[in-house]
This record gives sequence, C-alpha cells and structure tokens, in this order.
Amino acid sequence: MSEKCLEYISDLNAYLDGDLPDELCVEIEKHVGECNNCKLMVDTLKMTVKLCREGKPEDLPSSLNDKLNNMLKKKWDKKFGQ
Amino acid sequence: MKIQINKLYRAELRHGLSNILLYFDSAQYSKYIYYFSNNKIFLFFFESFMTYPYLMNEAQLIAKAKAGDFEAFTELINTHKQKIYALAIKLAGNKQDAEDIVQDTLLKAIDKIDQFREEASFGTWLYSIALNEGRAHLGKQKHSELKPIESYLPGGGNVDMHKSDSQHLFDWKDPHEILENNELETVIGQAIEELPYKYRAPFLLRYHEELSIKEIADIIGETVAATKSRVLRARLALRDYLSNKFEERYERKVS
Repeated sequence: MSEKCLEYISDLNAYLDGDLPDELCVEIEKHVGECNNCKLMVDTLKMTVKLCREGKPEDLPSSLNDKLNNMLKKKWDKKFGQ
Repeated sequence: MKIQINKLYRAELRHGLSNILLYFDSAQYSKYIYYFSNNKIFLFFFESFMTYPYLMNEAQLIAKAKAGDFEAFTELINTHKQKIYALAIKLAGNKQDAEDIVQDTLLKAIDKIDQFREEASFGTWLYSIALNEGRAHLGKQKHSELKPIESYLPGGGNVDMHKSDSQHLFDWKDPHEILENNELETVIGQAIEELPYKYRAPFLLRYHEELSIKEIADIIGETVAATKSRVLRARLALRDYLSNKFEERYERKVS
C-alpha cells in the first residue's frame, strides 16, 4: 500500500461503490492502474459484495406467516385488553 | 360489496385509459358516481367492485396502532415482514433461527409500540429491534475479533511492501469458474457467519438491505465514522476468507 492508498482507506467502500466525487476517483484510479495488488484488491472487494448479493431472497414461509398472525393477534388483544 | 364502517376503503375503476380511485370512510356511499373528464360528465352505476384498504401514511397508521387498532399495526408490519425475514436468514444462516428472530421482533414491536417516536421511520425502528433480537439469539456464537483494517491490505498496509509486487495475492475474478453455484452459496454463507455479529449486522444492512451508512449508524447507535469502519472491516474480512477458500479449492483442482 502506498501512503496515498492509506490516506483514502476510510473511504475505500465509498470508492468501490461509486459514491466518491469524480476528482477523488480519478486520483485513486490512476494509482490502482499502476499497482497490480491494488487492482486485484479492488476487483475482489467488488466481487465480494456482488457474491453476497447473489441468490434470490427467501420468501417468508406461509406457515410462519399464519403462525405470526395468530400469535400477534393474541398478544395484541392481551395488551389492549380486548 | 362490503364496506365496514370506520375504515378507509379504496376502490379502483377503469374508464378507458383513466383509473379512477374512490375513497370511502363510511358505509354511506352512493351507487352512482359522476365523473368529469374532458369537459364531459360520465355517470357510473355500479353493483360491485373490488375494494382495498386505503393506503394511509405511516404516521396515520402509527397513531391508529398506538390507539389499539390491530389492523393498522398489521398494515405497518406487512411491508417490513419479508425484509426482516430475509435479513434474519442472512444474519442467522439458517431458517429456524431466522423464524424465531422474526417472531420475537414482531412481538417486541407490540410491547414497545407506545415508545415509538416519530423521529425514526417505522422500518428503521423495526430493524433495530430485529438486530437486538438477533443478538439475543446468536450472541452465544463465539467469534474472534477482526484484524485492523491495514492487516487485510496487501503487505499488511506496510508502505515498503507496496513497492515490490512480489507479494502473492490470489486472483479470483470469477469464482464461478472455481466452484459450482450451490457450493459457492455455502461458502459465502459460511464467510458471513464467520463475521462477529457487530460487523455482520452493519455489513448486511449496507449490502443486503442497501441502507445508507447514516441509516445504519442510527440503527446500531454508532457514529457514522465507526459504522463506516465496521462495514469496511467486514468487507475486507469477507474478501480475505473467500480468497483463502477459493485458493484452497483452486489448488486442489489443478493438482
């Protein structure tokens, strides 16, 4: 890591997620383009988040939904004294 | 057509290209509707049509729920139930714990509904309850603390190491070439579970629930700087874990 890299480290996620101002990005990208390890870190860190986002979200099971409806109604009536 | 008194109902009619929304707040409604469009008057007569509960805004629903209206509460949680479950599955890594977390979160929400203050959104408030319930369920898990940020960087953040590219870093641009899809999913699940809870929760809120750092900071009750740092350490630790797993598998494959 160069001193430059360490300087921006707290904003690394913002950079990886495209949330940094352009002028900062240009500076970082110039460096990343010159450094194999940094390039590899950037690529694999992006891939890490991409992988975690993959896969379709699990649907709430309808059995749980039914159970919840009953349970919550009971609790509600107890609380509000019906 | 059924209309219950004291409830807001919405009906939708289609006339040509127009959608007409009707709102009722009592059983006193007409079977005739005059509808003005393009300087013409249309008269509708209807026998029956679908009605839907009128979408009240969150503040209205919360006020009703606090006054004891169960249906308002149901309406409030319905938009978030699925999200809480999806988050709980990622947090817990299994369906059984996830179901318990969702259940305890919603029961706790009933307990605490009177304490809800409008400064937060209802969704944010539910997330913070869910995270506490998650911690209560999963807190027994033993994890070692993550390393400092620099340790995850090439050369351990050492400036001199940077100059030579001699340090070995495994390149895994496309892990799909190394592992089958279902194996990959398992490895990612394990990687997330390896994270201590205080890192796992903000990471998932950021990259699974797509919340902003500020929103996450409010939910976990930390500063923006601390939240940023936790999410980054989590990401670096995950990368590290995945990198080792992929390299291991890759070497087994080629040898």
